[in-house]
Amino acid sequence: MDAVVRQNHISDIFKDYHTPPHFIDEVFQKSGEVHPYYEAVYRRFLEFSKDEFKELNEHAKMSFFNQGITFSVYSDEAKGVERIFPFDLFPRIIPAAEWARLEEGVIQRCQAMNLFIEDIYGDQHILRDKVVPSELIFSSKSYLKAMLGMKPIGGIYNHISGTDLIKHSDGNYYVLEDNLRCPSGISYVLSNRVAMKRTLFQMFRQFNVNTVHEYPQELLATMQSVAPNGIDAPTCVVLTPGVYNSAYFEHAFLALTMGVPLVEGRDLYVEKNFVYMKTINGPKRVDVVYRRLDDEFLDPMTFRPDSMLGVPGIMAAYKKGNVNLLNAPGTGFADDKAVYSYVPDIIRYYLQQEPILNNVHTYRCEKDDDLQYVLENMEKLVVKPVDESGGYGILIGSKASKEQINEFKQLVTQNRRKYIAQPIMDLSVHATFIEGADQFEPRHVDLRTFTLLGKDRQFVLKGGLSRVALKKDSLIVNSSQGGGSKDTWVMMEEGSAMNMSQNQQEGKQAMSMNGKTMSMGPDGMTMGSMKTE
Amino acid sequence: MRTVYEVVYQTQNTYEATVKEAFFSFLVLPCQDQTQRLRTYSFSNSLEAEVFHHSNPFGFDVTCLRASQSFTHFEFCMKAVVEKSFALFPYGSNMTVAQEQALLHDHNFFLDYHLFLGTGRYTQLNPKHYPKLLFRGENQTVYEYLQQLNNHLYQLLEFDPEPTHVCTTANEVLEIGRGVCQDFTHLFIGIARLNKIPCRYVSGYLNQGLNLTGTAVMHAWAEAYIPGFGWQGFDPTNNLLADVHYIKAAHGTDYNDCSPIKGMLRTNGGHTTDYGVKITPLPEPYHNQ
Repeated sequence: MDAVVRQNHISDIFKDYHTPPHFIDEVFQKSGEVHPYYEAVYRRFLEFSKDEFKELNEHAKMSFFNQGITFSVYSDEAKGVERIFPFDLFPRIIPAAEWARLEEGVIQRCQAMNLFIEDIYGDQHILRDKVVPSELIFSSKSYLKAMLGMKPIGGIYNHISGTDLIKHSDGNYYVLEDNLRCPSGISYVLSNRVAMKRTLFQMFRQFNVNTVHEYPQELLATMQSVAPNGIDAPTCVVLTPGVYNSAYFEHAFLALTMGVPLVEGRDLYVEKNFVYMKTINGPKRVDVVYRRLDDEFLDPMTFRPDSMLGVPGIMAAYKKGNVNLLNAPGTGFADDKAVYSYVPDIIRYYLQQEPILNNVHTYRCEKDDDLQYVLENMEKLVVKPVDESGGYGILIGSKASKEQINEFKQLVTQNRRKYIAQPIMDLSVHATFIEGADQFEPRHVDLRTFTLLGKDRQFVLKGGLSRVALKKDSLIVNSSQGGGSKDTWVMMEEGSAMNMSQNQQEGKQAMSMNGKTMSMGPDGMTMGSMKTE
Repeated sequence: MRTVYEVVYQTQNTYEATVKEAFFSFLVLPCQDQTQRLRTYSFSNSLEAEVFHHSNPFGFDVTCLRASQSFTHFEFCMKAVVEKSFALFPYGSNMTVAQEQALLHDHNFFLDYHLFLGTGRYTQLNPKHYPKLLFRGENQTVYEYLQQLNNHLYQLLEFDPEPTHVCTTANEVLEIGRGVCQDFTHLFIGIARLNKIPCRYVSGYLNQGLNLTGTAVMHAWAEAYIPGFGWQGFDPTNNLLADVHYIKAAHGTDYNDCSPIKGMLRTNGGHTTDYGVKITPLPEPYHNQ
């Protein structure tokens, strides 16, 4: 391809790109110039013609079809329709220094939350000291009597947290949600990376991106670290509600990549307060359960008596310390969106530290002043139910019709504890390939991070799920609401980059010797003809 | 002075289709507290499955068993010998009304007893019913008031097993005006809690020799916290205070925490279930042991 032709193509997929005012663009600076850390990737993308890029995009999509990565949506119109989570090839890049601060903040937050949950199921000092109002905790349906006085093995309640962040127009990261009850999305992070490598490996290998493939082993190590006392080689399992669950793929994926059994409730049973798995070789004791089953379905003897998905008696086994559950039941009161507004105080209370990450100002409709403000300014606010996830039941005031606003005013007034409101945050935008228009356009993104806490160990995945709102101007990024996602590159620090490029140099030497490329990818070792550059 | 009882709880269940796997848990064993002691107890079941135990969130023994072989009929029996001593009643409080109220409104007191002060679906009361209810008079002590409330509910409701079932709420009971011991108790709890008095649901057994209501099956009554004294049992179904004739099995926030039997079965089709209790005061020789 000669330079003149290439020049023409540059204008093709980026020619109509305009960052909307008032928003931060992850790729471009205010002046319109590309951020230095995006420059190399951006240049690479400019080399593709529209048709070339469309082909690549189809390639990436096929990767997901072939991996069977789908999800289903719960709604009236589309019951059980399976969809592919749209993947965008332009990666989200986070420089090392920016990430280091984020990681510190996320760990701080998760550790404070763990202490908070421990305290609430213990002596409730934070309530005695009136830092958090007790009514807020006691009225949460995730505050479980069955957990009172319960100290899990290893002392961890929120082993797996999915902290959602956004970058606001002031250039700072804000936490939107702390997801402490079996957050999902990690399988997309890993599959996005696979798709990225399969599609653009030549490009990918030139950047010093932190790996994400170690997550399943880190999760397994986290599970093993909190096994019951005296167990040398704990048996760990993933407990799924079954194939009809929207995240079933992820449950299977994690079990497969950790190398542990994937079980349903009916595969387990409790005898004499120990948990066993039915196998073709007879019963096998189970020590640690990563359960992707909501609290209320976990044990029909303790929670919903009509649950056929759970394991009767497992809560008693858990309380006796004969099995451990990840996450602990009853963590949900802490990620309640009304409790969210107290998280900075919770961090100060338990850690005596200033919070590293920002919180979005939150109006709690149960407070009279706040309710008044919310009712008067609803068109400027996002109104959210406190205990829903997946972006269900949300109203964005600026996008809502008069009727919708009136409807929400009624809803909120009738059930004040159930709703909070926040100013509409200006989620940053990122260049995203839009099918149909067949060009890059700015779309809003957020970032879900994944944190693991175990006994004497902690791990934040250097990567995450950058979710993209594919609808123009939409601020809702949830997959169930028509969102897509991007591979997220957390760059290595300068020092480690040196080592990498040295390795690459050696690699290149080896390649030029036999004229073949050799790569270790997620699919094992592959060999192919070297592409001339 | 004390009385010794033999308490027997027995249940029989017959299933239309074969049950392939089952898990049962029972909350029926008389508990041990200041006024009662377990001398002996035993469990038996028709499947000869070995039982195992754990404590529920309120510290009461739950007896579990798992059936791994198929069956269509299941019987379970608990037998216990309980020694019951006479309890003191909170005659004449040692606190003034103002002191009592100060305690009930104390933040730490609320936290310590919050499970028995909140309302759930069973005990929540709709404000439209408030005119029918009895609230504490300004100069009444908690104990005086609760005795009056006990009597009030006894007069207000008629005992009738027909119109209500295990899911009936206090609001529904007020509308129907009749119910069983569970309904009397939920209503008592709901009203006591509106008056900021910690109150809990008790399930247990009632001496069958006294011609009282609710002795054929497990009985329910309420325990309320009397400032300066502690927990005292009130039985609005019989307008009595819980005394030596009341053998407690467990308490909790409401019926949900105290249901005597829970089961999960893998079967198709329905089942019939039947249960009964027998409470016999033991004769003197045993008594004097």
